[in-house]
Formats: sequence, structure tokens, C-alpha cells
Amino acid sequence: MALEEHAALPCLGGNMKYCCVHCKKCWNHPVEKCIFCGKEITQIKETRYKVIGYTEVFIPSTGNEKVPYFVNLLEGKQGHKIFQKTFQKYDLGKVIDLLEDMVLDQKIGIVGSGLMGIQLAAYMIQYGFPTVLKTRSDDGKKIAYSKIQKNVSKRMSEEEVKKSLQHLTVSTKYKDLAECDIIIEAIAEDITLKKEVFETLSTICKSSAIFATNSSSLSIDELAGMTDRPGMCIGMHFFNPVHRMDLVEVVIGNATTDQTKKIIIDLVLKLNKKPIIVKNSPGYVVNRLLLPQINEAIIMLEEGIASKEDIDNAVKLGLNHPMGPFQLADYIGLDICLSILEVLNKEGTSMKTRPATLLYKMCEEGKLGMKTKEGFYKY
Amino acid sequence: MYIVGAGRTKFGKLPKSLIELTYEAMFNAIEDSPLDIKDIDAIYVSNFLGGPLNGQLHFNSIIASLLPSLNIPIIHIETACASSSVALNQALNSLKNTPNIMIIGVEKMTGTELMSPVDAIAMAGDHENDYEQGLIFPAAYALIAQQYMRKFGISHDVLEQVSYINHKNANRNPLAHFYHKEVTLEMIKKSQMIASPLNLFDCSPLSDGAAAIVISNKKHDDRDIRILSSQIATDTISLTQRADMTSFLATKIAAAKAYKEAGITPENVDVVEVHDCFTISELLALEDLGFCKPGDSSKMIMDGDILIDGNFPVNMDGGLKANGHPIGATGLAQIYEIVTQLRLEAGSRQVDNPEIGLMQSIGGIGGTCGITLLGR
Repeated sequence: MALEEHAALPCLGGNMKYCCVHCKKCWNHPVEKCIFCGKEITQIKETRYKVIGYTEVFIPSTGNEKVPYFVNLLEGKQGHKIFQKTFQKYDLGKVIDLLEDMVLDQKIGIVGSGLMGIQLAAYMIQYGFPTVLKTRSDDGKKIAYSKIQKNVSKRMSEEEVKKSLQHLTVSTKYKDLAECDIIIEAIAEDITLKKEVFETLSTICKSSAIFATNSSSLSIDELAGMTDRPGMCIGMHFFNPVHRMDLVEVVIGNATTDQTKKIIIDLVLKLNKKPIIVKNSPGYVVNRLLLPQINEAIIMLEEGIASKEDIDNAVKLGLNHPMGPFQLADYIGLDICLSILEVLNKEGTSMKTRPATLLYKMCEEGKLGMKTKEGFYKY
Repeated sequence: MYIVGAGRTKFGKLPKSLIELTYEAMFNAIEDSPLDIKDIDAIYVSNFLGGPLNGQLHFNSIIASLLPSLNIPIIHIETACASSSVALNQALNSLKNTPNIMIIGVEKMTGTELMSPVDAIAMAGDHENDYEQGLIFPAAYALIAQQYMRKFGISHDVLEQVSYINHKNANRNPLAHFYHKEVTLEMIKKSQMIASPLNLFDCSPLSDGAAAIVISNKKHDDRDIRILSSQIATDTISLTQRADMTSFLATKIAAAKAYKEAGITPENVDVVEVHDCFTISELLALEDLGFCKPGDSSKMIMDGDILIDGNFPVNMDGGLKANGHPIGATGLAQIYEIVTQLRLEAGSRQVDNPEIGLMQSIGGIGGTCGITLLGR
């Protein structure tokens, strides 16, 4: 799996101009002294700009793989012009504040400091969102902080990392989530535990807060039922690794309001990701398609139809998937695969989803994939 | 024709961008000269890998962006490692119409991610034939070294001495890439093999840096340095098309023309900057430039003639080996050193009262050669 470290960062820089007050000349690049008069340069930074032009781009390029996007021509009060890339369309004449738009927007809460919780927090602060991460223990708090720091360091300069980390709060207390606008629950895939979290959030968070779950298969309606605000509960299913995988499944429950849906879709777009809308149902879209395939691959292996390497090659080279089902199952974790399959099987979707015997056996033996150094393959 | 201003940046692995380095060198050159930036009529800019490494071509327009509202003619010249001496040569040709010209050389080679620098530098060779067979740049010079060492029966010790002397000189040059690095002969001997017989200390480093000069068709100041000659010559780029691999014909031709134009012989030259992109190249240069007979350069080196206080100082600034090799800036940095020496402003590495200096600049494996002769 090619986990190339590259993600588009939001446009926060680029709005600095370097001007010689004496010669009335300006540079876009950092200049210390004016070559015309030798005097010191003044740095001018504006944050409020008017949209005076835009183009919508439909052709992808390196670093701009996701299309269409907008390149806006912005003009500041002092007449300085800059470009800004967005995925949202702005009307001509609109005044935008880069600081407000990028940083002061919404406050995000994340419950759970597992693999996904850490990555979500790292991704949020990278995009300038004030973020509170709730962990269980003080030890976990320290570990989470250093993991997030390490995660963002891979894609940012030292200075940017410092700036991003200022947006981060890691806490063991639920009450620190009280002021968050959107809370994303990212704990273990266990309906009982998740219900407890949603119930607790109800009693602590401000009434305007939206509760989202990063569940990969469980029912939004069941979770919403535990809260005082079923209309403001929604699914927000991110994929691992978060900075690489562009999809977010936005899962709409029976009670989810249009307003909640709109706020979450806007957030997903601001995060430079692609939202798809899914009605609440077991496994949503991705896992309902994926897990039966993984299960069938395991059954084929059990039946001796083909080797695991050949089945992986069949899917990679014949179906043009980047990874084969066994590689992917190991990457996801076999315990997680099993739990999703059990949900699909119990809820009775039309596919053949009774988990393969070999899958149960491997989970019992603790061979859960990459994270335990052995699954179908050894790592 | 005079050099009336010279400026450069530090060389090395620097935090500054391609464009920031460019500006710094231009600023320093203008500050050093009696002219104002508004007196400049045209600019020649030398840069080799802006496209493949920095994703920046059309570099003349970048210079224009750094000089808002000047709107003068600016031309980008690329002839690999010889880019800046060729840029100077072309600038001199147009000095009649544009009396004051700035020449800028710049390269940003570290911290770039578009392409491996090894592959990018290999673009200076014959890509279709030689590179496809794995002949990356160090490998080409390694073959020259192998042929030379066999022909003249010298050992690797001579190459080690070239590296050692260049590093010692760089320790006297605060702007050099390896100013602070203490290098011993043992470190050189034990360094990693790159392409046999060349090891790491036979190779010049990847450097960032920029240099700029201002030339004028008239003398403005006592510090101005006379340009006695600037000549360029070319040769087939592939070694397989050459009869002799132990000499660069382009150097011989350009040097002969330069001596003739200046009305001097090699004996008149007091200080020299040669293109030691690999140590072996310094041996070839001393012979091709007529400072000794073929095969005799190792004696000059081992006898210490080429030391700063020797009787024929070479690469006082540390050479490409230790001053650094930001490709597009290298030739202008050599000129900067000769100018500094002739102005008697070289501080602790000042040679005793030099009057004539020569710089040799090589593109690829001798596919282009630029020679500049300067005098007080």
C-alpha cells in the first residue's frame, strides 16, 4: 500500500506582502532590504479580502488532484492581490476573512484516542480547527498528544506544527467538550459503549452541538435515541489513513435534520474531503460492498480455490484495486472485519455475510493483522 | 569591459528558497557596485535545474518580479554547470547596446522533492544513450579517473590531496559550503565509495547558493576589474565519441582563444579557479589550461604548488569540492573569487599581489567550456 505522505494544506500563507514604503514597491517573496534604495522592508499582512475574480478548475494536476476547485482572486483593503484555492464557491464582491474562515470557525470535539481519534484530531488541527480530544486516562493524554504531534510533523514544517498544536486540547474530562460545536465519537466499534458516550454528551454539551459518530457500520438511529437531540445526530465515517483517504460517508438517520446534514457536508468540504450521502443502514456503502468480498475471499482460501497471494493478485490486477482483500483485511484488522460482518449478518442484508470459520479462528488466535504483526501475512 | 560589482550568498544547505537566494545575490552585487539597480540595462540569468528540481522555468520573469517596474530585457541561459560563464560570455556580446549588465547565477538543490538530484544532474549528459546504461554523473567522471590513473600510473592519493587542499582552503572562506568542516586525510581515505575509483570526498556537494556580478563598458571606480577575455567552446557530450578521455578538448580550445585575445600565455596567470566538480577534473584542468604537461599535474599537486601560499595558487575559495557547487551559480562564484583576489580583498586567503586571474567552467563532462580571464 502506497502511503505517500502528501496532503493539501489550507491556504493560510501567501497573504504576506513585502513593501518598500520609500519606493512604493512590493514583493511577494520575503525580501529584507529594497534593492532600489537599500532601506528596510515593511511586511504587510492582510486578512480581510474582497473576492474580485474566480475560476473553477476541472483539470487535475499534481497537488491539485481533487477537481473541480476554485481559484479566487482576492483583493485586500490596501490593494494587494492574492490567490486562494477553495472547494467552495464565493460570490464576486464577497468579503472573506482568512483568519475567521480558517481558524475561528467551529470548535471540534473528538471522543476516543485510538487510531482514528488521533488521526482525526491531527487532521483537524492541521486545518486550523480548535480541537478538544477526550481520552480516558492521564497516561493516554500524554501518549495522544505526542502521537498527534508526530502525525502532523510528517506533513508540516516545525513552525506550522507549533502553530497547529496551539489549536489542540487533550483532556480526560467530558466537561471540556461543553463548548464544542461538533463532536465526533471515535471509540471502539461497540454499540453499548457508543450509546454510553452519546448519552453522556447529551448531558454536557451545549444545545447547539452536533453529535457525529465515526462508526463504520452501526446504526445512527440507535445512538441518536440515547440523546436529547436525535435531529442533530449523524454519521461521519472517515477512512484510515485519514490524511490520504478522501472519502467521508455522511450517514443520515431517520431524525437527522437538513440543517445538521448541511453543516456536516460544509465541514467535510472545508476539510478538503469528498462527502457521500448514505441513508442509515448496516455497513453503509463502503463496508457493505467490501466486507462480503473479504469474507468470500477467506471462504475461497478455506475451500482451497486459490492461494491468498493469487486471490490478492486477482483483485489487484484484475479488478484494479490498489490492495488485495487479504492485505486490506490485515490492514483494517481482522477483529474489526469480523465485527462489521457480524453486524451485516445480524441485520440481514441481501448479501452472503455469514463470517467465514477461518476468520473466527484467526481472531481467537489473536492473529488480527498488521497491528499484531500477523494476520493472513506476517509483518 | 569591466566587472564593477560582485556579490554572493553563503553556499551550502540553506533554508532560503531559489528566489530568496537570487534576490540576496543581486542585492549584494548592486550594493558592491557604484551603479544603481536603475542603471542596469539588461540581465542574464544562469540556472540549470530550476525546472526539474524547483518546478520553475521562465526564470527571467522571476527576476523581473524581483525588480518591479524595471521592465528591462532579461535572458535565461542554461548550459549545465557552465551556465554562468556562458551567461557572462553572452552578456559581453551585447554590451555595446546595453552598457550596464547584471549577470546572476543561482541554484537550489537541497530540500527539493520533485525529482532526485542524481537524476536531474544526469540531464547534463547524453540521456538517450549513456544514461540509459546507468552512466550517472559520478560514473562518467569515475571512468575518466580510471582511464587517467591507468595511463599515467598515479594512485588515488593524488585525488585525496586535491580534496584535502580544497577543504583546507574552504576553512579560510566564511561563505564556503564547508567553512566549518574539519577534514582529515583519513576521513577522505575512508569515505564511502560512490563510483570506483571515486569516493565521497572526490565529489563536490549538492549546494544552494547564488552569485551575481555587474559589468559595464566603462570603468567607474578603482576597484573595477578588467575583463581580458571570455571564450566558450564545445565538444561531443558522450565520452564514447572522444578519442582521448584524459583531456577536455573544449578547455584547450577555449583557453587557447582566451590567451590569444588577452595577449598572454599561461605563465602570466597568477591565480586560478578551476572546475573541480570531481577531484580528477582538477588534474585535467591544470593540464588542459597549459599550466603543465599532460600527466604532470599530480606533481604540482603533491609538491604543494597549488596551495594558497604555493607558487601557483588554485581554487583559493575551496573550489567546487568545498566552496560548494550550486550549479547555476558556480562559475560566477569562481569569478567572484578572482575579482576578490585581484582587488586584494580576500582576507586570510589573499594571494600575494596577483595581477591576472583565470577561471575555467565546465558543462557536463566537458561538453561546454567557458574561460574567463580577468586583470587589474
